[in-house]
This record gives sequence, C-alpha cells and structure tokens, in this order.
Amino acid sequence: MRLRTTLAILRKDLALGPRSPLVAWALVMPVLMTLLVHGVFGSLFDARPRVGVVDPGGSELAAALLDLPELDSRIVPDEATLELLVERHDLDAGLVIDVGFDEALRAGDRPALPLFVSGESLASNRVIVSVTTLDLIRSVEGRSAPVTVEVVTTGDAQDLSMVERLVPLLVLMAMLVSGVFVTSFSLVEERERRTLEALLVTPASLTDVLVAKATLGLVLAVAMGTVTLALNGALTGSPAGLLVSLLVGATMAVMIGLVYGVISSDARSLYTLFKSLNIILIGPVVFYLFPEWPQWIAKLFPTYWFLDPIVAVTTRGSTLSDVAPDLLVALAICAALAVLVGALGRRLGGPSVQA
Amino acid sequence: MTQSRPSTQTTPAISVQDVRFSYGSREAVRGLSFEVARGEVLGFLGPNGAGKSTTIKMLTGQYRPSAGRIELLGSDLARHREELQGLIGVCFEEKNLYPSLSGVEHLRFFARLHGVKDLDSEALLERVGLATRGRDRVAGYSKGMRQRLMIARALVNDPEVLILDEPSDGLDPVSAQTIRGVIREQAEGGCAVLITTHDMWEADALADRVAFINEGKLFALDTPEGLKLAFGKRSVRVRVRLASGEVAERVVELDGEESAEKLAQATRGGELLTIHTDEATLEDVFVRMTGRGLA
Repeated sequence: MRLRTTLAILRKDLALGPRSPLVAWALVMPVLMTLLVHGVFGSLFDARPRVGVVDPGGSELAAALLDLPELDSRIVPDEATLELLVERHDLDAGLVIDVGFDEALRAGDRPALPLFVSGESLASNRVIVSVTTLDLIRSVEGRSAPVTVEVVTTGDAQDLSMVERLVPLLVLMAMLVSGVFVTSFSLVEERERRTLEALLVTPASLTDVLVAKATLGLVLAVAMGTVTLALNGALTGSPAGLLVSLLVGATMAVMIGLVYGVISSDARSLYTLFKSLNIILIGPVVFYLFPEWPQWIAKLFPTYWFLDPIVAVTTRGSTLSDVAPDLLVALAICAALAVLVGALGRRLGGPSVQA
Repeated sequence: MTQSRPSTQTTPAISVQDVRFSYGSREAVRGLSFEVARGEVLGFLGPNGAGKSTTIKMLTGQYRPSAGRIELLGSDLARHREELQGLIGVCFEEKNLYPSLSGVEHLRFFARLHGVKDLDSEALLERVGLATRGRDRVAGYSKGMRQRLMIARALVNDPEVLILDEPSDGLDPVSAQTIRGVIREQAEGGCAVLITTHDMWEADALADRVAFINEGKLFALDTPEGLKLAFGKRSVRVRVRLASGEVAERVVELDGEESAEKLAQATRGGELLTIHTDEATLEDVFVRMTGRGLA
C-alpha cells in the first residue's frame, strides 16, 4: 500500500462526496430520523401521563404535581385553554385548582377540584393521574397515607422509554448508511464507470483503492454515529469506551461495505444485496425495542457486538473494560471480513489481476 | 517525472515475447511477439475479438500473461509493475471519467497518483483543445471533449510509453487532427506509442509500423507502405478523351521496369483527362491476408 496514492484517492472521494446524493443522504438521514422519532413518535410513545394545571392561587398541590418525575406536568394559564388542550389530546388530564384550595382543605372543607380527562388517553394514565392527585391532596392536607406501597419493578429494570429504545436503531442506521452504503456504492460506482480500470493502470494498487474507500466510510460512520448520539442526548458515559466502540462499529460497517462492494458488479446487484441481507445488519435493534424477547438471539447478529457496547456505555454507564469482551468479538468478525475482502477483491480488476 | 528510468535508450520501449493469455479454456492471445522502439508509433490493428484489448490489458499490468514475458523500458513488467505503471500513459476506449469532476480536477487527481507535483494542467488542456472548458464538470462535456480529456489524462506523467485504444473515437476531423498532432509530438519526444484503431486511414497516416492481429496471433508487422506494396494491388487508372470524342479508361499494372513506358503509352493517343493511382488500403491488405474485415 502506498500512502500517497491512497491519500490522493481519498482526497478525490472527499471532493466528490458533497456532490454525491448518497453522501448527502448519509449526512442528513440521522438528523431527519431523530426529528421524526422525537417530533412524531416521541410524544406518542412517552410513557408518562401529560397533566395540565390551572393554578392562579399558587397551590402546594400544583407545586407537588410539577415536582413529580412520573408525570409530565405543566402550568396552563386558564380553564378554557386547559379544556381545549385536553380535548385535543395534547394533555391526558387537566386540573383546575381554585384560589384558597389549600386553606379550604386544611380547614376540613371539601373544596371542588375539577379534573378534565381526555377521552383518547390511556386508561392507565387516567388511573395514575387520579391516584397521584389524591395522594398529593392527602399530603397537602397534612395527613399521612394509610398504607405504605412497596414498588417492585419487574421486567426491564431500566424502564427505558420508547424513544430511548429507538436510539440504538438511529445510531445503527447512521453508521450503516455511512459505513456500508457509502463505501460499497463508492466502490461499485468505480467499477460501473470503469474508472477503477483507469486507477489500476497508475501506480495505485487495488489495496490503495480499498483502503481509501474504507477510510472515507470509517470517518463518516464515526462522525454520524457521534452526531446521532448527541442529537438524542445520549453522548454520555465513558469517553474511551464510547470512542472505541464507535471505532470498532465503524470498522465493521466499512468491512461489510467492502464485501458488498466487491461482490456486486453493478448498482442493481448491490441493491439486491442490501434488500436481502439488511435484516442481518439491523436485526439487533428489534431486541432493544422489545426487551421482553429472549435477548440471547440478538447475539447471533454481527452488528450486536458493537451496538450493545455503544448502548451499554451511553445508557448503562459501562466502561471500556466492561465492554471489551464484546468489542473483541466484533474485531474478530472484522478480521474475518477483511480476509473475505482480500479473497474476493481479486475479482475486481479482471482475471489474474495483480492486487 | 519522479520515477527512476530503469532502461537504456537502446532497448525497445515495449518488448512482447511469446505472450499467451486465456479466459478459462478460451485462448485469447496465442504466442504474440513484437517490439516498439522509443519514438516509434505502432498501429495495432485487428477485428473485434482479435485479442487487441487483452494485449493492452497485459501491457498495462491489469492482466498477467499465462505464458511469455513483457518488458517495458527494459524491465520485466511482472516484477516492476507499479514502477513501470508510473512511466506509462493509457487512454481507454471506454470514456471512464468522473462526471462530477472538472477537467482540471481530473488531471490534478491523476497527477497526484503519479506523484507529479508540477503539472501545468492548463497547458495540457490547451494542447488537446480544452482550455476554455477545463473548469467545467465532465458531465457537461460532449463525447469528443471527453475523448480529448482522456488523451490529456494519459499525458499527465509525461509518459515514456503511451498506449491509446481508439484515440480518435468520437472526434470531429479537426479535433482528430489535433490529437494526431499531439501523438506525433509525443513520439518525436522519444515516447513509444502503441495505438489501436479501426480507422485505417489514421493508422496509415500516423503509424510508423503496423501490426495485424487476428485470433490472438500476429501475422503481419511492417510499415504501412511495406504492407501495401507486399500485399496490395499496384496499378494506375488513366482516362483519355480520344479523337472520336469517346472517353477511354486504361489500367496500367506497375509490375516491372517497363511500367513507366506502359504508363507513357497509356496517356498517348488523346487528351489526358485524369490519372488515379489504384493503391491498396490497409484494409484491403488485411482482408486479403485474413479473408475477413476489420469490423
């Protein structure tokens, strides 16, 4: 491999990048997907009931509701607005707390507390809002609860929201589009336009071409994986663990891209390959969406071995040493793919090509 | 040029010795041997499927011969491929350019691959008549402009061996003349040039020698004049208006010392109207030798 020729090809690909619809898509797609998930599905899948409170008198009940993390509460200026919001199902429920509510409660009166409930809200949300409100009223009144409820969480202990469960899908998609699609299309384009032939009669070798394509995909995949995590507020945890996990993931993505690129003789066969094999690539994300499914099945998919370390570092606080065993498996898969690229790559220049 | 020159000036620039190549069980090139000297233009002619493209792929290092030896500039191509690829220029028949790059960007990119740092891309584009369109993207180029850019691309490293596959393909007569001028300049500068073409007139005008290849074998290699003399018809067609007003056409075979006298006789006895030589073309020679055309 010659560094000069590799860099020259990489520089050319970087110049062509902004003019390529695929690279533009790789850059824009994570942002669009994130906006879609948060803007459209975010509120639909948010597990917390949404409560509006009209509180002209500054009641302790309103303050307590706003403090509760289990509820998505907010102050609404007046009763008419509240009713409208509930009717439109922008809120699951709405409370109107009159001026002097707290004092009347403590004096032993039974003040009215209008509660608007959306007909489209989930039954569970209505129950949660009602019970929580009654519990808080007792607290404002100065009385303790008659029983102590012991909460036992079953199933997924982390209790991730649907949006949080979609983050692995977004990260994986961002890395696959950049690492697999951009790399393989770039290589197939060189073959289809016969420009690969023009490169291979210069001092550039096939290895130089493949390394340049892989480098572009690697940089894009790491960058877009990082951007996607940042957009979703998941750029947290051990920096070393996250960086190494992203690098290993990007490496696997470009290796898969190179395998696709050397197998496919043209764009049509590449599309067919994507359609046929992409389930293998994105398979693991299903198990994040449905944590009740047997999680060991996710380990059968190659991308699991870098995706789970990314999720572990960003959501479970794992460190590099915690995720190292999984990353080693991922690296072993990368090495096997590299051997495959080397073997299949000989086909690229024609019979008896000298790579 | 940054690469070292591995050979002396006396060795042939291209030496092909008993080279063979097979696609599976089909032998495409069968024991081909020829040489091209520095400063020489060799026309490589043959019908489709004759083995020309396979030979070019072997000469450019894309294919490895199954037998035989290829030397470029005195060095074994199999052993010094990358070094020698830095010293050759190749123009493909296929217009394999990047549509999104401009002409200038193409030349700079390929110059970087060759390690050429001081390329004057504007001057090179000027040579092939593309100076005014150098900053435009290739997607907007006509077929002829793409072909001229391909020629310029083959010259970015000031090659010692130039291999051109159908260099005039898609060019209008004026552009084709410009490109022939560029090829001649390269040869006069000491570059060995191998061109394949279907244009027999171009081969005749441009090539110092012509190689005929058919079914993977070389069966004639000589100057165009030599081939035409050896295999063509040598005759003169004379038209004379006789005293009776009738126009007579006489064919004089140029086959001996008496040819001049025969020609003089043919022009007598009336008003001489026209004299046409009936010289064979290279295509005539090829058809006569192989029993098939060049298409």
